[in-house]
Amino acid sequence: MAELTGVYAASHGPMIVRNWEKLAPAERDGLTSAFSELGRRMRAGRPDALIMISPDHWVNFFIDNLPAICVGVGETHEGPPEPWLKAFPHRILAGHPALAGHIVREALEHGFEPSVSYRLALDHGFCIPLWKAGLDPLPPIVPVVFNDLEPPYPSVTRCFDWGAMLAQAVASYPGKLRVAILATGGLSHSIGEPDMGRIDEAFDRDCIRCFERGDPAALFGFLKQRLPGAGNGASEVRNWVAAHGAARGRGFELIRYDPIPNVYVGCGFAAWNLKDAARS
Amino acid sequence: MRDYWLSKLFFDLQSPPLADEYRAGRAQVLDRYPLKPEVRAAVESDDVATLAARVNPYLLRFYFLMAGMPEDEFLRRIRASATPPATKAAHG
Repeated sequence: MAELTGVYAASHGPMIVRNWEKLAPAERDGLTSAFSELGRRMRAGRPDALIMISPDHWVNFFIDNLPAICVGVGETHEGPPEPWLKAFPHRILAGHPALAGHIVREALEHGFEPSVSYRLALDHGFCIPLWKAGLDPLPPIVPVVFNDLEPPYPSVTRCFDWGAMLAQAVASYPGKLRVAILATGGLSHSIGEPDMGRIDEAFDRDCIRCFERGDPAALFGFLKQRLPGAGNGASEVRNWVAAHGAARGRGFELIRYDPIPNVYVGCGFAAWNLKDAARS
Repeated sequence: MRDYWLSKLFFDLQSPPLADEYRAGRAQVLDRYPLKPEVRAAVESDDVATLAARVNPYLLRFYFLMAGMPEDEFLRRIRASATPPATKAAHG
């Protein structure tokens, strides 16, 4: 049986890297502090493997074949193809085929139908948090790609159920393994739409409060009402909802939140309260 | 509703060699994609608003970055695309 060592969330806006030198010192300091604390907490859990929930930004998939959810089962994954991520120190990232295969089998056994890929390229959604959090050496990664970019999206409740299933798959894994889960993306932002650059800080802070309180039903109600108005990028909150499901809907501890116009994103970082989850 | 071939063009242009070729001369690349005439015209004229209605916004944003439009100009045009065309209507 594997052990869940931690469940985390982090924003991944490209401008964190592309616009780094143009950020105000306070913006850089805030992001550095948040990623450092995220990395410290993740390393403290000593994970042998890391499940990452992130969207695909038109790297692996296109509208001729667009899975709602895809699990990367390969022995290795390719590094980020974005030209502005050439400095990312890993061109090949190790996978964990045994855990990934187990997740896929558990998913199918329990009424989920994931797509499967033996070779994914991990774009900035995966690699910016890994890089900025200072996770080196990297644990083997099981990527779980959620379609947060092109409607129709997986429903919020289905994403929560997916997270719960991932935690169950970790618990039933037939081997000794320490596993962390990291969801990336969000919070509010808008890309390529008429409100591009708008950060819905009120949405972000209310959303954070919902996650802190736990109570999945209240979170679902909030997101049904407010997610459509928080910018197309806020769709990535689905990944946070999956993390919430993995933590059995118990609240999280906010590591840091900063709305950063130069990044276009309400940048949030959090760690779930797994000890509470274990008692439920 | 997405325009498939416009989306495919923007998706394919993520390939650096194709992007280089495109920036050197759009026509020879555009000729390989069966774009509707009005869509090709919108591409050729950098008509952000028309293209925005036909392609995923992330691909739209990528395309204009790749094509060399300054970020401020793209933001100005995409934000203007939300404005009802009242001026045009007023002038018939």
